Amino acid sequence: MRYYAGCDVGSTYTKAVIVDETGAICASIIRRSKINAEVSSRLAMEACVEQVEGLSSTEDLAYIVGTGYGRNRVPFAHENVSEISCHAMGVHVTDPTVKAVIDIGGQDVKGIAVAPDGTVKNFAMNDKCAAGTGRFYEAMARSFEMTLEEFSSLSLRAKNAIPITAQCTVFAESEVIALVGEGKAPEEIAAGIQMALAKRCFVMAKKAGAIDHIALTGGCAKNEGLKKAIEKVLKIRMISLGVDPQLMGALGAAEFARKKGGKA
Amino acid sequence: MRDLKHRVFFERLLDDPKNELTEAALAAGNLALGYSCYFVPEVLLNLAGCFSLRLRAPGIADTSIATYYMSEKTCMYARSILERAIEGGYNFLAALISTETCGVMHRAHEHFEMLDLVKDVNDRFFVSHFDAPFVTKDYALAHYERQLKKHLLDRLAETYGVDVSEEALFAAIEKHNRLCGVVSEIGAFRKLPNPPITGYEFHLIELVSECCPHDLILPFLEETLEELKTREPDDKPPYRARVVLAGGENDDPAFTKLIEDCGAFVAADRYCFGSLPGREPIEVREGETALSAIARHYIETNQCPRFMNPEKVHGRKQYLRTLADEYHADGLIVQQMKFCEYWEYERMYCQHVMETEYGLPCMGVEKEYVIASVGQLRTRFQAFVEALETKKLEREG
Repeated sequence: MRYYAGCDVGSTYTKAVIVDETGAICASIIRRSKINAEVSSRLAMEACVEQVEGLSSTEDLAYIVGTGYGRNRVPFAHENVSEISCHAMGVHVTDPTVKAVIDIGGQDVKGIAVAPDGTVKNFAMNDKCAAGTGRFYEAMARSFEMTLEEFSSLSLRAKNAIPITAQCTVFAESEVIALVGEGKAPEEIAAGIQMALAKRCFVMAKKAGAIDHIALTGGCAKNEGLKKAIEKVLKIRMISLGVDPQLMGALGAAEFARKKGGKA
Repeated sequence: MRDLKHRVFFERLLDDPKNELTEAALAAGNLALGYSCYFVPEVLLNLAGCFSLRLRAPGIADTSIATYYMSEKTCMYARSILERAIEGGYNFLAALISTETCGVMHRAHEHFEMLDLVKDVNDRFFVSHFDAPFVTKDYALAHYERQLKKHLLDRLAETYGVDVSEEALFAAIEKHNRLCGVVSEIGAFRKLPNPPITGYEFHLIELVSECCPHDLILPFLEETLEELKTREPDDKPPYRARVVLAGGENDDPAFTKLIEDCGAFVAADRYCFGSLPGREPIEVREGETALSAIARHYIETNQCPRFMNPEKVHGRKQYLRTLADEYHADGLIVQQMKFCEYWEYERMYCQHVMETEYGLPCMGVEKEYVIASVGQLRTRFQAFVEALETKKLEREG
């Protein structure tokens, strides 16, 4: 049996997926990224390889594709593919009915329209600041002295959302601290934060041409409160993927590896 | 591909506006005339005893003082020029020729006067401003020509005794056309399926031709042209797609290199500081004076989105399509400086029209003058290249 791998070195988490010749997922891993992308990729891939019987090192993999912001620094990758193409492909192999993706990563938000064959039809991406990204979300959770998990479910209890006017992460954090100081209900502030993120996602999705059959990917996709806020602004239900949405980039990379390595 | 003989030298020339060729020209008693827009005819700044210098601010790290004067919500190119001037970086200029083309750049140039910049080291230094037309009607052209005479030629003659006679203007046109011919010939190599030059290298060449004294840079350009005639490209082009790079101000070769590092050959350069337009020869038609031919040339060839008349508005899109065809481009990247008053609108409109009416895949980029973080841009460029590659494979079956 030949195995193929994708390694997605993100700004906050590094993900790796190994698939077999049929494209079935054999192993996966999600680890916090180190400052050094090479180290992050090596640690993630080694941990992933350990899960597959018959594999003893990355050298046993037939083909490896790197993706994510650190894709150029995956030392064992045969090539790299942008995370935009990888997320589209990862979602496509998971659920071919998906026509668009909203990927909320650690440092950017992307709207991706997916072609019927899993390639990218169109995309839009914020590329200036951390507004609306995972970093933004982490900063907000920090303001509440909560873990991401606690913060994610906080807004589900809110009856109202207090609007957050600042788009900039730094200013938004100050605004949130001021609101907390005024004694506003934390769940309503959290709902306001998620609505601000959701609006950012709305813009990216619309810019990319997303209309329906949309799936969320990236670490923030696991956030139920955010998912509900996005569904509210887009007025459609997000498609639930059968695989961890944070793995979509690595899975897409593994699928590219399978396609390219299979020909080799 | 073997390295170009003068690549490192060209890169060094672009490190500082006052480079070794500029210094040599100044030492020979020539006047350095700064400008920053295509509406200022470069040819008129290269009369005998003068040389043109399109202003850049390479390596600028901070624009705090300029931002204090101009506010942060203005084009960073304009602020960078002002900041560099405040730092004393253009103290060698004899004059700054300014047009009321971009309002923000015009304000930056006005600050040269308001803050007495350069004047403290050269009391004859002057800033001259003139109008540039919004339309291409005959009356607008006549007005433009009068402006060129009054605010450029007359000022040079009065202040520095520059010869602005008809003979002097014809000589300048001839010299200008010689340089343009060499640069255009170099640029034409980019049309080849496997070009012996990269988009980055051409960007360097075009920039040194705009930022160095023409007499002194020409021999190096001619030598480069000869070198390219026999330069062997790699057997297989390292690119996965070809693009036209369009848009507003772009004097950063690293930006072109970034696109090429992501797999797209920058085949054509249609942006401010680019060669398309910019390096077409000036033709003097029967019955025209040298100045009227120059004025007509710079209005006719001008692709600035400042022009509002329908022929120019539609012509700009057709021009891009023509470039894409001539240079065999698979797509178009339109870049724009943040807060650019003209390209902010033109980019959005251009992207839509080029994709829907001209069938050219298009990507828009908003950027700062100094690009500090390239990670996200790299992802966008690479994804665009991958999409172009997919489309190309589909077309080829």
